[in-house]
Amino acid sequence: MEKSLAEFTKTGSQSTSSLPPEPVDIIRSKSCFRRVRLNVGGLPHEVLWRTLDRLPRTRLGKLQDCNSHESLMEVCDDYNLEENEYFFDRHPGAFTSILNFYRTGKLHMMEEMCALSFSQELDYWGIDEIYLESCCQARYHQKKEQMNEELKREADNLKDREGEEFDNTFCVEKRKKLWDLLEKPSSSVAAKILAITSILFIVLSTIALSLNTLPELQDKDEFGQPTDNPQLAHVEAVCIAWFTMEYLLRFLSSPNKWKFFKGPLNVIDLLAILPYYVTIFLTESNKSVLQFQNVRRVVQIFRIMRILRILKLARHSTGLQSLGFTLRRSYNELGLLILFLAMGIMIFSSLVFFAEKDEEDTKFKSIPASFWWATITMTTVGYGDIYPKTLLGKIVGGLCCIAGVLVIALPIPIIVNNFSEFYKEQKRQEKALKRREALERAKRNGSIVSMNLKEAFARSAELMDVVVEKNERPQDNHLSPNRWKWTPKRATSETSSNRSINTQHLGSPNKGRNSSPQKLNVQKLEEMYTQMAKTQSQPNLNAKDRGSRVGKQRDEIELGAIQDHHPSTLGTREGVGDMKSLSSIDSYISCATDFQENPRYPHSTQVDLCHSNSPAITSSQHSAAKTGHQTSGAPMLAPVTVSKPPCSENSRKFLFARNASRSLFSKGGCRNDKDPGPSPLSDSSVLSDHSLLSPEVSVYTTASSRTPPKSPESTALAPTVFTFHDSSISKYIDADTDDDEHMRDISDASPTDRLLSDSSPKRSININYQRGTNHLEAAHKILGQNCLFPLEGICGVPHENHVGPEMGRRQKGRHNTLDKSH
Amino acid sequence: MWTIPKPRYRRCEEDEPEITVNIGGVRVVLFGDVLNRYPESRLAELVNCSSARNDELISSLCDDFDPGRKEFYFDRDPDAFKCIMDVYYFDEIHIKRGICPICFIKEMEFWKIDQSVLDECCKSYLSEKEGELKEIASKVKVILDDMEVNQNATRIQQCQRFLWRLMEKPGSSFPARVIAIASFLSILVSAVVMCVGTIPDLQVTDAEGKLVEHPTLEAIETACMMWFTAEYLLRLASSPNKLHFVLSFMNIIDFMAIIPFYVVLSLTYLGTTSMMELANVQQAVQALRIMRIARIFKLARHSSGLQTLTYALKRSLKELGLLLMYMGVGIFVFSALGYTMEQSHPETLFRSIPQSFWWAIITMTTVGYGDIYPKTTLGKCNAAKVLETAAKHEVELMELKSVGEHRRKDSDNDDT
Repeated sequence: MEKSLAEFTKTGSQSTSSLPPEPVDIIRSKSCFRRVRLNVGGLPHEVLWRTLDRLPRTRLGKLQDCNSHESLMEVCDDYNLEENEYFFDRHPGAFTSILNFYRTGKLHMMEEMCALSFSQELDYWGIDEIYLESCCQARYHQKKEQMNEELKREADNLKDREGEEFDNTFCVEKRKKLWDLLEKPSSSVAAKILAITSILFIVLSTIALSLNTLPELQDKDEFGQPTDNPQLAHVEAVCIAWFTMEYLLRFLSSPNKWKFFKGPLNVIDLLAILPYYVTIFLTESNKSVLQFQNVRRVVQIFRIMRILRILKLARHSTGLQSLGFTLRRSYNELGLLILFLAMGIMIFSSLVFFAEKDEEDTKFKSIPASFWWATITMTTVGYGDIYPKTLLGKIVGGLCCIAGVLVIALPIPIIVNNFSEFYKEQKRQEKALKRREALERAKRNGSIVSMNLKEAFARSAELMDVVVEKNERPQDNHLSPNRWKWTPKRATSETSSNRSINTQHLGSPNKGRNSSPQKLNVQKLEEMYTQMAKTQSQPNLNAKDRGSRVGKQRDEIELGAIQDHHPSTLGTREGVGDMKSLSSIDSYISCATDFQENPRYPHSTQVDLCHSNSPAITSSQHSAAKTGHQTSGAPMLAPVTVSKPPCSENSRKFLFARNASRSLFSKGGCRNDKDPGPSPLSDSSVLSDHSLLSPEVSVYTTASSRTPPKSPESTALAPTVFTFHDSSISKYIDADTDDDEHMRDISDASPTDRLLSDSSPKRSININYQRGTNHLEAAHKILGQNCLFPLEGICGVPHENHVGPEMGRRQKGRHNTLDKSH
Repeated sequence: MWTIPKPRYRRCEEDEPEITVNIGGVRVVLFGDVLNRYPESRLAELVNCSSARNDELISSLCDDFDPGRKEFYFDRDPDAFKCIMDVYYFDEIHIKRGICPICFIKEMEFWKIDQSVLDECCKSYLSEKEGELKEIASKVKVILDDMEVNQNATRIQQCQRFLWRLMEKPGSSFPARVIAIASFLSILVSAVVMCVGTIPDLQVTDAEGKLVEHPTLEAIETACMMWFTAEYLLRLASSPNKLHFVLSFMNIIDFMAIIPFYVVLSLTYLGTTSMMELANVQQAVQALRIMRIARIFKLARHSSGLQTLTYALKRSLKELGLLLMYMGVGIFVFSALGYTMEQSHPETLFRSIPQSFWWAIITMTTVGYGDIYPKTTLGKCNAAKVLETAAKHEVELMELKSVGEHRRKDSDNDDT
């Protein structure tokens, strides 16, 4: 023992450099310490196990539940049993507020914390963001929405950029060149010149258009009507020719014709060109026809439409584009502005009408007539063609002026804000674009390693899989003879658990899991069932009841302790009872139902079979289905016995099996809803828990044999006692469980999955056990033989560490391969 | 692991109690005499009972006790404790930035330290946050009240509830939406009818040769009024609290929009039955016609923007008053100045100071009709000054606007 201790102190954290501890040691370590040290990113925290138990579904809540090296390593990044310290490689700042959530039931966000990273932290620790207090919620969601919006916009931008890919039709190269020439003025000097020419043509054509209406420059046609100046008509023709050519070239070179056609800027281009051609067409086709007057009117309309070409300038000015975007984005505010104005106009015009209508020679003849006055006054233009003359009218006019100033002033800032935001956004985007270009260049040069963790992990999982399959046999050979007995199970459990990681990450469905092994086992299982059913079922139930009763008892003790601890917050004994009953009945109904379902489970054969020997079955099933190394599960069944009070060797064996099955199910097992396998397995894990507990449980049972048998509900109540510094936490916890329950109901209502969940009786009993032992006096009384009183020293039970060197090396080897593949 | 430095000489005099506390992993050594400055606080109590060796009391005060190290463990936030420790040394507490004040207050309650020791600067921060929270809570409560459906309500109550949702919550169901739209349209129609009715071309002469409204318009008006009345009555009937309903702003507007119609009706009835003088009746009717304008305000019910406008105006009433006062002063000063300067001109348009008020208003708001304008050079300079002050007003208005904008943002947040 001294040696092992020395080893530990030498190597520091044991999981990577030393041997993996036995589950028994883990349990013992947990039971000896009332507190736990959490090292998050280098910042040490110390917290009561009891506190972590308030939210059992979260990562920290699960930590207490992990009794094997593998499951512990899943939850935390590193741990040290001697120091009772668990390491998490996460941001320490966020963890402070998260740990306070456990303590106070209020989740607050550090002010300097980035909302996105906080949300990631919340995801990691398994806490839902709805628990965030309302004072921090607004900030959090605002930031998050903003970021999501920005990310979406960026993605859209990227897609746009990628959308410019040219399909491999004819003359791709030339079309691409042409496209760059016409659409990207900054790409080359020629493109720039082209853009400037285009602007000049636009300006020229607009000038020609306005000069055309000067009477001095107009000509008279044969009907005496003024027509265009011939020189200006030539200019117009040239400009239109240029525009048409530009449009057609753009259209031809565009990668996506329909998208090009739909683009707002191109629609404007088209509208600038079309009126000219329509006018020509109409005049040419109607030259002979007499109804020239009508055609003239139409032509006049199209002539007005020519002015749209001024909008073509928008293509060359980002300012104009952002103006358009602003107007589009703030149409809500514009509508508001118009509504305000309309209401003001309505009110003041009717008021001024009533004030002025009796005046001689008034211009306010009716309310619609005074609309004009009201509009001109409210917009503070004030032509002076209509103005009030009576005193009353003047008062109304004065009010109208002031109201107009106010009303127009109010919504304008929002529009301005939108404009400036968009402008800033555009500038930012330009910068982001440059940054991305630089990044891509760097990537191409190989100076930046890809940080895509998901990809990397998937790849490593693949590699790991291969390594495991290759190394399985040699690994087994490394084991010492006394361990040999348990190796097949061990190996299979490992492989299967690794498998499940693999499948989870690669997302491949576990096909054929329930095909062959089930059939193989059926006969033997049935035979065994007939034998076991008589002997087993009754004791099993007893065990369950016993365990629950024990849990209940422990909790009662705990309750007393709690009360002593917090008289100020909890008040009297009745208060505790109330809280307990409230939270338990409300939120742990799921537990109760699960528990009740167990005895009369429909697939009784399988259930009871697996009551007896499920762990082995699980492993064998999975291994057979997946790897095919184990041809039949039958030999695996043999060494497992349950009903007898197990010796230490036996209990350890069970631990292995149980952990294997559990880790398997927590990862991959839930996926197969129709697989009948999981249901008995989860049941069996309950059972194995009992057997695991049995050395201690037996002590309990003798102690608690006097207590009357209790209904299943009472057992479900057992884990629900929490110590609240604040009664509101009960609400949170209720919400927690309820939500999860709903989710599960929606996603999958099969009892197997519910059993697999944390609220299953398996868990509750486990909690009871640990909580009972966590408590000082109780632990002392019950575990008496091994567990030192935690108050006397931190290192409670180093001597019972059964970690054999061979085991550890094997484990370590596996981990090393994993690390390498990373 | 930080300890409070302590003058050495005191240790020599007496061996006062010294305790080690572990707050969520942070170990602190504290001295009894320091802690006893606040004897009601949790730590002071702990010191006193640790000296008395009262195990039961100790375990009630702290979460865990390590007799070997004489270390008391508390499962609390260490950061907040660091701030709270200050009270023993400096008699005041400052909330560290980054800690939510609400959360901090809870910690203070745990350590049994009175809130009054919190420093003023942090108190204002706290009250601000508390106010925010209260606002949110009240809003949430309103929403929850809406959501909650009382199962054991009587049939009449259920009916009432249904009607209430139908009339007041346009988002609740499709019929409610339809009703809201119909109500909106009827307001618009009645407003248009009111305007169109005044156009002389559309009016008809009655028996006495007077212009009265077109009969069709009259019919539409009556229909709209019927709708408004029905709506108002239904709302009133379905409202859970009648007095509150009658006194609320929106419903007063509704009432004002309806009442003139009925008053006019009754007056004309009285007039025709020669209970009252006909001329008087007609004057009264004329006066009441103006009140029809109130119905335009009914639109506010259907537009959140308008409600925000009224809210913003209500909130910035003080600033608005200030603005009006400035304007009033400006008008007085400049109209007086304008009057005196323009008096020299033979064909002056400024005949009196009250008359030049009008000029001042029109100029200050930059409307400028041009019916009255200064003709002398001095008067023109004066006008320039007026415009300068007007520009200043604009700046003030911008500030006012920011208030309104802030409000709107707030309400947007609430909506989301």
